[in-house]
Amino acid sequence: MKSIAYLFLVLLLSSAAWAQSPSASIRGVVRDGGSKQPLVGANVIVRGTVVGTATDRRGEFQLSRVPAGRQALVVSMVGYERKVVEDFVLMPGQEIRLEIELRAVPIQTEQIVITASRREQSLQDVPVSVSTVTAEMIALRNHVTLDDALRYVSGVNLLQDQVNIRGSTGYSRGVGSRVLLLLDGLPFLTGDTGEINWEVIPVHEVERLEVVKGAGSALYGSSALGGVINVLTRTMQEGMSVRFRTYGGVYDKPRFREWEWDSKARFKTGFMLSLSNRAGGLGYQVSVHRSVDESYRQNDASHRWNLYGKVRYDLSSSQTLTLSANLLQRVRGNFFWWKDLREATRPAESQLDGRVESLRGNIGLSYKEFVSEKFLLTMKGMYYGNDWEDLKRDVRNYYSRSHLFQGDVQGTYEFSRKNILTFGIAGNYDIVDANLFGRHPGAGAALYLQDELEMADRWKVTIGARLDWQKVSVLPSTTQLDPKIGIVYTLSTETRLRASFGSGFRYPSISELYIESPKNISQIPIVPNAQLKVEKSTSVEVGFNSYVGAHLVVDGAVFSSSFTNLIEPAVAFTDNNEPYIRFDNVTRARIQGGEIAANIDWWRRVFTTQVGYTYIWPRDLTENTFLKFRPRHILYATGSIVAEPFQAGVDFRYVSRLDRIDENLVRFAPIPQGEQRVAIKVVDVRCLYSTAIGSFPLRLGFNVNNLLNYHYVELIGNLAPLRTYFLTVEGVL
Amino acid sequence: MACVALACEPGLTPPPDVEPGFGGVVRFERGTWPPRDSLVNLWIFASQIYPLDSAKIFAGLFSNPPSIYIYPSFTDNISLYVDSVTYAFKVPPATYRYVGVLQRFKDEITPRALRVVGVYVDRPNSMQPGEVHVRPYEFLRNIDINVNFHKLPLQPF
Repeated sequence: MKSIAYLFLVLLLSSAAWAQSPSASIRGVVRDGGSKQPLVGANVIVRGTVVGTATDRRGEFQLSRVPAGRQALVVSMVGYERKVVEDFVLMPGQEIRLEIELRAVPIQTEQIVITASRREQSLQDVPVSVSTVTAEMIALRNHVTLDDALRYVSGVNLLQDQVNIRGSTGYSRGVGSRVLLLLDGLPFLTGDTGEINWEVIPVHEVERLEVVKGAGSALYGSSALGGVINVLTRTMQEGMSVRFRTYGGVYDKPRFREWEWDSKARFKTGFMLSLSNRAGGLGYQVSVHRSVDESYRQNDASHRWNLYGKVRYDLSSSQTLTLSANLLQRVRGNFFWWKDLREATRPAESQLDGRVESLRGNIGLSYKEFVSEKFLLTMKGMYYGNDWEDLKRDVRNYYSRSHLFQGDVQGTYEFSRKNILTFGIAGNYDIVDANLFGRHPGAGAALYLQDELEMADRWKVTIGARLDWQKVSVLPSTTQLDPKIGIVYTLSTETRLRASFGSGFRYPSISELYIESPKNISQIPIVPNAQLKVEKSTSVEVGFNSYVGAHLVVDGAVFSSSFTNLIEPAVAFTDNNEPYIRFDNVTRARIQGGEIAANIDWWRRVFTTQVGYTYIWPRDLTENTFLKFRPRHILYATGSIVAEPFQAGVDFRYVSRLDRIDENLVRFAPIPQGEQRVAIKVVDVRCLYSTAIGSFPLRLGFNVNNLLNYHYVELIGNLAPLRTYFLTVEGVL
Repeated sequence: MACVALACEPGLTPPPDVEPGFGGVVRFERGTWPPRDSLVNLWIFASQIYPLDSAKIFAGLFSNPPSIYIYPSFTDNISLYVDSVTYAFKVPPATYRYVGVLQRFKDEITPRALRVVGVYVDRPNSMQPGEVHVRPYEFLRNIDINVNFHKLPLQPF
């Protein structure tokens, strides 16, 4: 209680100090340097403080209560060169107005990312491969969940909702993820199964996604075996704004009559409403999202509500406190896999009449303070709760409840512009109660440290390590040390070379350790295995990033990752020759490959193209064959044309046929004709018309996903979505 | 051009509506046929269970759905006193761990009246029965069985 009282006292004093400190305000507008058009959503931050905002629909911004004195303003936006408005002096009570112009540069130039080193840095200064997805691309493609957005990231493919970065993951349905998902910097995996639940993330409140490829446990701990995805939520704008978005879609018929299970049209609809208001040091944001997907498959409909809220309070120009909360309520049919390929849109008989009801949510509190010009302190805490039930004709079969608490305190100290130290501690506690897994607590703690050094102008070296301790239930505790090293060499102003080494690990999830089912949905008994060891990985990468002229950016890398103790479900037989499943450390693996991505601006940003190709050589060293569920080729190509007020675009996605799947899973589950698979070749198209009603901007969109109605599976026994037509309307009031 | 090529390609397609099962040839060793009075019935069987005992045989034959199937039927036989017979056995999709030819040599319905006279093996000279994995809409061919009434395979019961 004393500590809580102390915290309140500190906050109160801080607020009082804030109220009394001499301050000024800055107004202004940010425009495109060429067209002079206002730029919407540009970030404007007073350097060395937490005072910042994003430009509104007129490109305008307002920063109040800026500390008086000598200040600098940092203005950034994707696709534009970052600009620092240097050293101007503000007198107490003064209000100044700035006209700022940003120079358009090839896509991703000077883009700022924060995930690779736990602090803001230019994409070109990062020693590992990083890709980003912006809110604009999510909206243009009408993605309703974030996994859809990842389908167009170079080197990433999905097995339905299981994300796979450069072949790291394979099949891990319901039992852990080898890619770590972060929500605003904190791990966001479920406490029971340790997996990613995409639907709980409020997709319309996302500012961008950052995808860091390669092992990342040296900064983020468990599960960062193959990479890290950080979901960053929106920055609040000054003033009040109301955003809305509504969409209506309809699935087309399949090419074959055998797959037409319903004579009626099947719809996918939803709406989102978001209110944001910020005045001075206080801002809030609330949104609601309703989504109904009737699905193109029988017993696969999904109904969900998302509620999201965020309150930000700037205690002073150097301190800010943010509280956020998020809730998902969902009811979904239980389509696990098809009846057989001839009836690919119907589930197996045992899955008919089944459904899953879930309630998931998180509450987070973060505190950020510039203790001095050189020292930034960040404290974050989050509770993530998951509650789901698997029902059959209203009778509960399975349930799971998990409560995960975690915290992270991080310091970033700038000894000089050329030496930046990042350090911190993290901890977590979770409790799981499920009839499939039993009741088990878990706890963990970690220390991390990283130093970034700039040497001889051209060299930047990053060295770091993280020590993790983890204990699950009554099992012995384990510790894990993960180092990392990264080097960036500036070859010229246009070209940078990079090299990195990192390691990763993943604790077995509660579900892998303790799952026990005499006869589960897969019809085979599953037995627990509390002897599971930690999965480990190391990854090495060498790459480059180069601007060729003003209109082409090329990024390339070759990589090699080694994995040991990979956990997989293994089918074994009892003395009576009855099959059963148990999770075991069965595989050593090596994944090598190369990746090349290019962003091309053909003509004045009117016509742009993005292409990414990844070659993967995924080898199972235990069995000397291909790793299961990994493709060898991933190719993405996107073309966009902008002729205001129209925009149009086309996306093409190719993922080669999986060389190997789990034949035992197909055979014993059983998944009739589950081995049937083809290469993925999908074309999506979109067009957009921007208009206004009065002074309120409005956008009308039309999307066709899977234009050619190509039939394929990402996950065995699961026919991927058919051709779907969408109309969207979105606006800002 | 690429789009046109892609547009013509459907990707996965539903398989043709084929009744699942398996078939092949049963070859009988010349000069080994038993007398007619010890050939009450001669069937081809397919069992999802192996090894078998009396209880499992009856449970397998009479459970719903069965796990042991008989061809052509309980009341019918495959051709007798021939060198070979071609068969087409329609069974539900499943893995059949024990497939062979069954002789009923007494006029009673007990395991004592039955003997296995031929077993499907997937490798030459194998002592272990071969598995037949029947998938939906798939009819497997070349499930051939050799029968020598003078040299019986290992009995499952």
